[in-house]
Amino acid sequence: MKSPFLRLDPLSRRSFVEQVAKASFGVSLLPFALKAGETDKLNGDVHKLPGFGKAKNVIWLQMIGGMSHIDTFDPKTGDTKGSSSSVKSKGGFELSGYLPKLATQGDKITLIRSMTSKTGVHAAGQYVIRTAFEQRGTISHPVLGAWAQKILGPSHKTLPSSVCINRNPDHGNGFFSAAYSPLPLHDPDAGLQYARGDASAELLQKRLALLNKMDASFRDKFQDVNLKSYTEFYDDTLKLLTTSDLKAFKLDDEPSVERSKYGQNKFGQGCMLARRLIEHGVRFVEVAYGGWDMHNDIDNAMDDKGTVLDTAVSALIQDLEAKGLLSSTLIVVCSEFGRTPKINGRGGRDHYPKVFSTMLAGGGVKGGYVHGSSDKEGKEVADKVTTIQDFHSTVGHAMGMDVDQVVMSNSGRPFTVGDKGKVVTDVFA
Amino acid sequence: MKIKFYLLCISVLLSPLAAFAEENAPPEQTQNVQRIWRDTQNRAITATFRGVEDGNVFLQTKDGYVYRIPLDHLVPEDQKIARQLKPEGLGIPADPNVAQAAARIDEVVAYGLKAKGVTPNALASDEQFCRRVYLDLVGRIPTREETMTFLADTSSSKRAKVIDKLINSDGFNARMFNYFSDMLRMADDAQKAKFFTYEEWFKSQIWQNRPYDKIVYDLMTANGKLIENGASGYLLRDKGMRLDNLSVTLSTFLGANVACAQCHDHPFADWTQRQFYEMAAFFGTTETYDKQNSKKMLIGLRKELTEEELKRVKKLVQVNALEVHATGYNEVKLPDDYKYKDGKPGNSVPLKLIKWEPATDVQKLPLHDPAAMQKLQASRDQLYKTVEASLNKKGGAENPRDIFAKWMTSPSNPRFAMTIANRMWKMVFGIAVKEPVTDLDSASDANNPMLLGHLANEMVRLKFDLRAFMRLLCNTQTYQREAITKQVVAGEPYYFPGPTLRRMTAEQAWDSCVTLAIGEKVDNYKLLRAGQYTAIMDLKGKITASEVRAKLDGMKGAMAKFGGKNKPGKNANMRKMKDSDGDDVDHTKPDVLQGQVLARASELPQPEKDQHFLRMFGQSDRQISDAGSDEGSIPQVLMLMNGETQSVLRNPKSLVLATANKQTGVEKQIESLYISFFTRHPRAEEMKDAKDALASGMTLADLTWVLFNSREFMFVQ
Repeated sequence: MKSPFLRLDPLSRRSFVEQVAKASFGVSLLPFALKAGETDKLNGDVHKLPGFGKAKNVIWLQMIGGMSHIDTFDPKTGDTKGSSSSVKSKGGFELSGYLPKLATQGDKITLIRSMTSKTGVHAAGQYVIRTAFEQRGTISHPVLGAWAQKILGPSHKTLPSSVCINRNPDHGNGFFSAAYSPLPLHDPDAGLQYARGDASAELLQKRLALLNKMDASFRDKFQDVNLKSYTEFYDDTLKLLTTSDLKAFKLDDEPSVERSKYGQNKFGQGCMLARRLIEHGVRFVEVAYGGWDMHNDIDNAMDDKGTVLDTAVSALIQDLEAKGLLSSTLIVVCSEFGRTPKINGRGGRDHYPKVFSTMLAGGGVKGGYVHGSSDKEGKEVADKVTTIQDFHSTVGHAMGMDVDQVVMSNSGRPFTVGDKGKVVTDVFA
Repeated sequence: MKIKFYLLCISVLLSPLAAFAEENAPPEQTQNVQRIWRDTQNRAITATFRGVEDGNVFLQTKDGYVYRIPLDHLVPEDQKIARQLKPEGLGIPADPNVAQAAARIDEVVAYGLKAKGVTPNALASDEQFCRRVYLDLVGRIPTREETMTFLADTSSSKRAKVIDKLINSDGFNARMFNYFSDMLRMADDAQKAKFFTYEEWFKSQIWQNRPYDKIVYDLMTANGKLIENGASGYLLRDKGMRLDNLSVTLSTFLGANVACAQCHDHPFADWTQRQFYEMAAFFGTTETYDKQNSKKMLIGLRKELTEEELKRVKKLVQVNALEVHATGYNEVKLPDDYKYKDGKPGNSVPLKLIKWEPATDVQKLPLHDPAAMQKLQASRDQLYKTVEASLNKKGGAENPRDIFAKWMTSPSNPRFAMTIANRMWKMVFGIAVKEPVTDLDSASDANNPMLLGHLANEMVRLKFDLRAFMRLLCNTQTYQREAITKQVVAGEPYYFPGPTLRRMTAEQAWDSCVTLAIGEKVDNYKLLRAGQYTAIMDLKGKITASEVRAKLDGMKGAMAKFGGKNKPGKNANMRKMKDSDGDDVDHTKPDVLQGQVLARASELPQPEKDQHFLRMFGQSDRQISDAGSDEGSIPQVLMLMNGETQSVLRNPKSLVLATANKQTGVEKQIESLYISFFTRHPRAEEMKDAKDALASGMTLADLTWVLFNSREFMFVQ
């Protein structure tokens, strides 16, 4: 068998070389270089397509457990309606009655009601909606924040390029190095974990000075890349701790009136922290909200979860708009699948990947627009079927990434943003 | 100790490699080159001096064998020389056969180095060797006492002896478990069950030093319920996903990079999707869930139990239905989107094994002798013929999975021994002979193909005894050299002038911290959960509602103890456990300090919770094979600076600090910390800096923080 390297076509071989170079020279990236020939032919006009690069930032709201489409973004009137009646939104479309505040923001919202997935199991489904790839035992795939850091470069000199709130990063860096992993913030009120130690600033300085001195001979002896990057991580961490950027993590600095608008709960506060972070230069923030697996008494559960979601997302849209950030920030609301149109014997709905809905706002998307539809009962996609891969490609495109650009993993496997999905250009204004 | 008495021989059989090694002896050994030694009867031997011990001189001949000769048998002049010579770095080996095999590896390495004009590194100092060999073989740094004992030992046989001691200690089992639990994605929680039986079965295999080929054979061929047969855990880990499981099997055990071929023809290797399905067909009759039985178990219970009870019973039934068994029906069919001309969607395919091109058979390279090469090829051919015969046997219904397992784990399989040999090499050298370890399809592209082939042959010769194999690797000169100081660029060839500089694995770092905190007690506590779990969950035959209720009651309390799922937000590091007092000798309970359970990574939850030191430092989440990471990140550095672990080590109750505090005089105290953390004494300027710092108001606890946060602590040279 010949070397796999020799079998690559010239284009991917070049990507491979780039990949190796980047892996070898640490975190910083060369500016994104356009590849000659083929790429121009294929995607020469990608920059001119609607929506490209409009979303400088993304706030990705991940509903965990399978959010019912009928009880949120795709209300029905017949047998499958559920307990809540729909409300007319300012965008002209109907929303479930559990989301009255969001209805007032409808003119800034795009809904996709024709989402579909093949995965009806939580863990595997969450993996796909988060990465666009099927879960495998041999490789892990990056989230969009990591892709962007790779393709577009870091979004800030000291702050991380991506953060995840109320959840673990779950190898969100995929096959990229750990430097691409989203920084986890498990408690929005507490901010950055371990940001404070028990040593005074003066003592910390003394310790660091001694550390720097005593470790110097070891650091100088080896020209190891990982050793060097450790030293860089210490430098970056200290920079982060000593500059004003640390403020990005502190919700305490927000007026309590503003904080209460988002709702005094982990999700609401997480959304507010997300806004603070993107304001300071973090590109991609994921906020997770669990508890959507409503097999029993969905009405009661939606009263609870729906209100939290409604309050936080509507506050986020208004807040971003007031700060002039909505046009450059894309808000995404999604879940691993929808829930069955038929209400089960326990008043709940079960897993349903066949059709479900997602929401987009800001970042160059249309307001008051609905893309695709489900049938009358919410059972099948009726129009403009949209896969999770299409959805990811669309968001990736909005972030300014060429979804046809092939990036090789270290194991030499070719991957693209959104796993070869199609960009839904209709959603862009 | 098997030491043969000397045979005097003037002519030593020279392999071409040995001849090469001689003319390229590293310059730093000029005072200890090969010379002719004579005895009183005027017999002569050409050999290198390895040391003098108990009135014997140890001499290594060109073929690598080490002879023990009573010193007074030598002519007086040679006796004098023997007493004066500085023992060669490796010292006296524990076993002359191991020394010979190690010398052979060194020759093959030297051959590769010479071909590229690379000079080997100098031999590592005792301090460097001691720290490295403890980390590599028992997964932790040596304790202060272990270091002092080793450094104070003046005998020439101490390196070989410490290797043998470590290889046979509990720590070796922990180290191997940590490696394999990452490779095999062992997780406590999978498929809505606890995989405790699998973990403990595997631990017992390592503990017994069962040959690796036998262990893997058992994993592939296991039958029965998870809670009754831990070996079934490998297939049950991927319940209902036999294609994914096979993809992992092929890359993990055979270094066959076929993951792509699961969904389409491999873009740049030779594997086709059809080939993948031909392999999968061997598993087509293997079922990983007992649907029938689980249904039966619920019959009759539905009416008698409340909805809440039924929900919990279902969980119980699910655990009992996790079972590997054979069905009579091959379920593997080409997928709906199959797009190649050699088959149609929905078709089944015949069972067929993959082959590698003879050109990549690097195991032939070190054999030299055409007859030996032919013999190897014949054994390969025979293996495939045997499979063919088994498959064609009429009525001899052998489970195809067993046929596959025999082929895969056979010493004649072209990739099985090589893959594990390459993996073990990476464990102690930091980089594999062929990277990545999951892709040996083009083995001839390895940095040193002959070395790869030789190691595979050695693995076969040692009958897959991993303890013996690791012992051999650590006895090589190549291993005992200084680590490379130059940059090793990922993807560029490396010829092994010495081991590479490595960041400790998460498990090595954590176990080292535990060692600093509690010393040699680190191996006392053993986690045992399988017995209790099986007793609680096991359902046999038909059960009544009242029996089920009793079972559910038992489940409640016990399951809380085993811990729930990993939820973010809760501080994983704070456990509701009281700190243990110093004299605790209860081996059923781990030591606890500041709420931290001070036990080996192998005796903690698999994997640990996300915010635990282990995970922040790169322990695999066990979703992906070989996913342990040695990379830094900002949250990790924050944890090292301000997290629980540094706080535990700065606690006056931690052994490292308590011991330092006990020393008289500042210098002794500083020295104590240095030996504990770095396995060496402080240099003069370091001593001065540390003393100045203490004089300026810093404490020994602060110095502990500094040493803990240093690169020298986190990296292995």
